[in-house]
Amino acid sequence: MDLLPTPGQMEIASLAADFFGNELPISVIRERRDEPVVVDRRVWSESAELGLFGLGIAEELGGAGCELAEETLLFREMGRRLVPGPFLPTVLGARVAALAGQHETASAILSGKAAVGLALRRGPDGFDAATTPSTLDGRFQLLDAADSRYVLLLDPAGAALVETAALTDVHSEPAIDPGIRLAEARADAVPIIAWVSTQEEPIRLRALVLTAAMSVGIAEATRDLSTEHAKVRVQFGRPIGVNQAIKHACADMAVRAEAALSQVLFAAICVQDGRADAEFQALAAKSVAGRFAVENASATIQVHGGMGYTFEHDSHLFLKRAHVLEHLLGEPADHLARLVAQPAAQ
Amino acid sequence: MDLDFSKEQVEFREQVRTWLEENAPREIRPEMGPAMREYDLAWQRTQWEGGWAGISWPQEYGGRGLSLLQQLIWFEEYGRAGLPGIDACFVGLSHAGPTLMTRASEEQKTYHLARILRGEVIWCQGFSEPDAGSDLAALRTRARIEGDELVVSGQKIWTSFATLADWQELLVRTDPEGSRHHGISWVICDMHSPGIEVRGIETIEGGAEFCEVFYDDVRIPLENVVGGLNKGWSVAMSTLSFERGTAFTANQVRLASTVEKLIDLAKERTGPDGRRPAIADDEIARRLATARAEVASLRAMTYAGISRNMHRDQPGPEGSMVKLFYSDVAKKVYRLAFDLLGADALRFVSRWEPGGWSGNYLYSYSVSIGGGTSEVQRNIIGDRVLGLPR
Repeated sequence: MDLLPTPGQMEIASLAADFFGNELPISVIRERRDEPVVVDRRVWSESAELGLFGLGIAEELGGAGCELAEETLLFREMGRRLVPGPFLPTVLGARVAALAGQHETASAILSGKAAVGLALRRGPDGFDAATTPSTLDGRFQLLDAADSRYVLLLDPAGAALVETAALTDVHSEPAIDPGIRLAEARADAVPIIAWVSTQEEPIRLRALVLTAAMSVGIAEATRDLSTEHAKVRVQFGRPIGVNQAIKHACADMAVRAEAALSQVLFAAICVQDGRADAEFQALAAKSVAGRFAVENASATIQVHGGMGYTFEHDSHLFLKRAHVLEHLLGEPADHLARLVAQPAAQ
Repeated sequence: MDLDFSKEQVEFREQVRTWLEENAPREIRPEMGPAMREYDLAWQRTQWEGGWAGISWPQEYGGRGLSLLQQLIWFEEYGRAGLPGIDACFVGLSHAGPTLMTRASEEQKTYHLARILRGEVIWCQGFSEPDAGSDLAALRTRARIEGDELVVSGQKIWTSFATLADWQELLVRTDPEGSRHHGISWVICDMHSPGIEVRGIETIEGGAEFCEVFYDDVRIPLENVVGGLNKGWSVAMSTLSFERGTAFTANQVRLASTVEKLIDLAKERTGPDGRRPAIADDEIARRLATARAEVASLRAMTYAGISRNMHRDQPGPEGSMVKLFYSDVAKKVYRLAFDLLGADALRFVSRWEPGGWSGNYLYSYSVSIGGGTSEVQRNIIGDRVLGLPR
């Protein structure tokens, strides 16, 4: 047993971190706030060339052959650096296409030619677990679908990929987070081009873990942002970090980040190994990391005082993204209801 | 990143589980008093005879000298078996014993360590004073030197099990000129010495293990000083580096099984609407789920801490994060238990009895105070984990 990433695993994460630092620094979110998409096509292609979309996909299916552990560390870096763009649905969408045997679609996604946005269902979950659905119906909220050829829907019964162009009544909406693009759309008997059921592949658990990993990154980044400010900001002739009101706020952030990180790494291994309590651990990870990211980001605004309330500062971007992540895969209350219904952990 | 235990470790777990099943005490632990002393010592003796005493103690001192992962397995199984904590033996096994190993003379080690392991003696702690709590270095209990003896006068407080103890790890001021951290000595005190008076302090849960200890010209041989006269502060601090992240595992496992018991209870009991089971109440169900998520995180944090300590010799300050999070979660869990019972919680049931939720709820207020308050833990995290200015 060793819960910590190996040097090799950390190297993959840090290569990705360097790329994001150069190509998608947080300032991009402010600079492109009025553009229809946040990540331009050049950067998207380079991400594909780096192999970021297929990191956790088997080599024979066109991926890099790493595991969920490595993907988890990648998404933690994305959370830390508030990387914009539809990375999560693209990574999961490539997997769905590959596992469904839609190799052309998979290779279009993996090569960066086609991105995948995320569709959140309005209303109750639609698919029947017993049958394989062929079409999609209903109303949806879309995330980062503007320049995406496909959108991915994650239901408890399974994951479906459809063409964005087949959706109707698409209209964009202002988003609370300038790092995402939001739209509303309808689907009327839209053909499903790739489907993977929950029985075949725990794609939803992967999504929970990867989303939680981004929340961990936010919890860590806001802890660091606050700590740094507490060291350098001088008031009454001393750094504000000497005051327990600030010091203890930072200490609480450190505890939340550590708890969330530990649980997300634990859950990633449980899902990767197919342990009996994988769902328990993934729901626990999502619940803890999601909440702690919001709490840390909120505290960061307070620690920064007036600066924290400005658009120019990064604090609010972390807070807004933390809230976005809370609502991606069903509501937090729904996750808790599922968690309490699970058998006890192993 | 892996959660795999080796074949040997899995066999070791089986071995521990079987031994605990066959040898754990069957009787309910008596409440505070001489019978409890005998119960705790008998259980320690059983562990010694079975070869399981001092699982984290080095072999040269008679311990098992287990690896960190084996310690983790032992404490997990110990917690899972629902066994009582090592309460009265705690100071000897986890505090005074490790300090003696690091700083005591050969004679002191030879005499005391084996007695602790064999379950022959109870140790208590004599650190805190009425005016020296979190600020331990403010302690004022004096010891003057007369010939080859120390003569101790003063008062200690919050000493658990002092009425049952044979020995005490006692911090006294031996150099009145020394300021704060200087001039303190770490002394082995015989609790049966003339001039010692112990008074119980009743706790909010009606518990009686808390005591205050008064010293009126208590004579202690100079040879009982550990680590050199006036060097007690560094001796006291050396104990801290012994704990490498496994010792609280049993408490965490116990807390996790408490949450599972509460979920069962919420299915059986009628909820706040007086009609449906408590678990059908959204707020209760969410609090139970949150508790599950948090105790899971606590365990993952412990695994992360142990993983980190496997790669280095000295444990880092991260242990304070586990302690702080544990305190926070434990208080929430017992408050939830109390709320689940509704008006039934008003009937007092001590934590020693089955269904002792009200007693446990009151007891939970001690977890964020004892062993370093949560505020002190936050200072440690701020200063030593985050490097914030002091």
